[in-house]
Amino acid sequence: MTLTLSRPAVDGGPRATRRRARRARVPYLLLVPALLFYAFVVLWPTLQGAGYAFTDWAGRRETPGFVGLDNFTELFSAPAARSALRNTLIIALSTTIVQTLVGLALALALHSALASRNLLRTMFFAPALLPPVIIGFLWQYILTPAGPLNDALGAVGLGGLAQNWLGDSSVALASVIAVIIWQNAGLTMVIYLAGLEGVPPELHEAATMDGAGRWQRLRHVTLPLLVPATTIALSLTLIGSLKLFDQVYVMTGGGPGYATETLSVVMYKEAFVSGRYGYSTAIALVLTMIVFAFALLQLRGLRRFEVQQ
Amino acid sequence: MTIDAARSRPARVLIQRAALGTALAVTLGACGFVNSGDDSTEEGGSGGSLTAYVNTEQNTGLAPLIEAYEEETGATVDISSATTDELNQQLRVQLTSGTAADLIRVSPGNSSPVAVGVLGREGELTDLSDASWTDELSDDTRALAEVDGQVLAFPVSRNAIVMAYNRQVFEDAGLEVPTTWSEFLDACAALDAAGITPIAAPFQGGIYFQFWVYALAGTLVYAENPDIDEQMAAGETTFAENAEWGQVFARIAELRDAGYLSDGMLGIPADQGLQSVATGEAAMVLMVSAGLPQLHGYAEGGADAFGVFALPANDDPEATLVPVAPDFLAVNAAADPEAALEFLDFLAQPENVAAYANEMGVLPGLATEVELDSDVLGPIEPLLADGRSVAYANYLWPNGDVQQTMLQSGQEWLDGALDTAGLLGQMDAEYARGQS
Repeated sequence: MTLTLSRPAVDGGPRATRRRARRARVPYLLLVPALLFYAFVVLWPTLQGAGYAFTDWAGRRETPGFVGLDNFTELFSAPAARSALRNTLIIALSTTIVQTLVGLALALALHSALASRNLLRTMFFAPALLPPVIIGFLWQYILTPAGPLNDALGAVGLGGLAQNWLGDSSVALASVIAVIIWQNAGLTMVIYLAGLEGVPPELHEAATMDGAGRWQRLRHVTLPLLVPATTIALSLTLIGSLKLFDQVYVMTGGGPGYATETLSVVMYKEAFVSGRYGYSTAIALVLTMIVFAFALLQLRGLRRFEVQQ
Repeated sequence: MTIDAARSRPARVLIQRAALGTALAVTLGACGFVNSGDDSTEEGGSGGSLTAYVNTEQNTGLAPLIEAYEEETGATVDISSATTDELNQQLRVQLTSGTAADLIRVSPGNSSPVAVGVLGREGELTDLSDASWTDELSDDTRALAEVDGQVLAFPVSRNAIVMAYNRQVFEDAGLEVPTTWSEFLDACAALDAAGITPIAAPFQGGIYFQFWVYALAGTLVYAENPDIDEQMAAGETTFAENAEWGQVFARIAELRDAGYLSDGMLGIPADQGLQSVATGEAAMVLMVSAGLPQLHGYAEGGADAFGVFALPANDDPEATLVPVAPDFLAVNAAADPEAALEFLDFLAQPENVAAYANEMGVLPGLATEVELDSDVLGPIEPLLADGRSVAYANYLWPNGDVQQTMLQSGQEWLDGALDTAGLLGQMDAEYARGQS
């Protein structure tokens, strides 16, 4: 007996065609309100903002004057702005690398048969759920010269390591970076845990049968299959740390001096403290380009290492 | 037509119409054709209605007065508030977009993008010169409220920079309140020898650092040369060239180098600095009088645990000036001024000036004879009565950026990474840029 599968007969005729066309339009019509709203609150202000980057707009009623590339020239020549750019890049690179490694280590450690793994996963992930401003205030208190961290160091006989964590320009930036990693390493861990769930156990079994040890299985089986997770983790961390504002502003305000000032903090101060909206918009534009460039490079670079299961 | 088709078509049409309706609502709303319920302006248009946007401190002090005003006149005052920082951020945009309230809180002088001097020159504020209360403006307040001879702001209160000290600590160390710089240094030395931090210096963020600059500059710079602001504006002198400005920072450096300021000062937030004085770990803190209630709240003895004095800067006790800052309200030029002017006249009545000052524990905004409930500021009142007050130094700098540079680079200076000439040079550069 032969079974013939065929498409059901298609209703022909011009009326049916028109009906199908109308039906096909519905999803697009449903998108219109959201698109209009998005265009109004995101696209239009963004494009308009980009225009202000070439003006001296100070938030006043009169039409802002066109200043060409002056705002950008100032950004790359002013010592404070250059310092903020350097701090932003240091924070972004160090946070991205360390947070990814810590998150990966946590994920590998907690992707096991440990009885308390769910409790530990929750504990490590919990800081990522708290608002950055709360984290900032919390750590600002912990890191004061007479704060709990220095007290704890003293209590365990390590008083010599006590520092003015946020008030000494030689350690303030490192302190801020450590807080950011502390808060977000749990998020990276979750991304890697999701990736580890997708690693087929039979690959590990096959490798074991071929005589591969634990380190070899990690290196040649697990890590290659975690590249997509790494791409996501690195992208999110890099973008988040490049536009970092909340924790820095709350913990140090960019100080002492200019030691922890990031581009986002300078952008905020120039707009809302100094009223230099044009210059501030130029900083925002440069920051957007930096984020875009880094994200693009990173995505392209990492996709080469992704392997198909 | 099938039954399914009959059902689905109206549903589809309904979805399409709903989508179209939503799109129109969003579009029209965006264009301003749809009023989404903000009816305060419409309803408030009749008979003496007033909108006000003030900072949180003003809101607290004005609340009982607004209640009395509404009861007395039948008018309504729709007041909203934000912290000063938030207000400064939002007000500029509100004024530009025409959505600012009738009565607004503005900063003194040129100290921010929403200061009297800045907004006044742009024509954003109503001239209040004809109001009778303008006769009761003290000279230093008038200098900050006027632009081109027009009074553009009303002072609801004034804050003074005072040195608050822990009475018990002073008593235990056998100290009297110092009236000269030498006595002040001697007191610091005695406290230091007793193992107490002489001066709490919560300089994280720089806010408390600036009080030192203004307090010392009042006596060292402005008492010596009251025309210094005009001279600097005319380019006749600069921070770096002016010996008195150099002396201001030399005084602070003297305290820093002697170890009289808190250890790790750049990492200490304000609340911890105040608490250290309340607990007796430190003896003194230089602060604004508006912050005294917070300090008092940290000690079991409350206000009685603390005293205040004017910071001396040289060895002539009669030369000490108290820096005083008015807290201003102004009338938006785009608003109908009648209701706002009436309300300001009400606030200027002596009993209301006193009510506000007593409610907030601050100095009266106008130089009116009023009875204050609290004697917390008693020690500096004779100086104010003698006219020995001076505006904060930064108010007549061309913009807020000079102050911002002083705060940030000042931290580097405190840290030893920048010398005084470098700091003053940076302030001069910012000053010159502000004038261009």
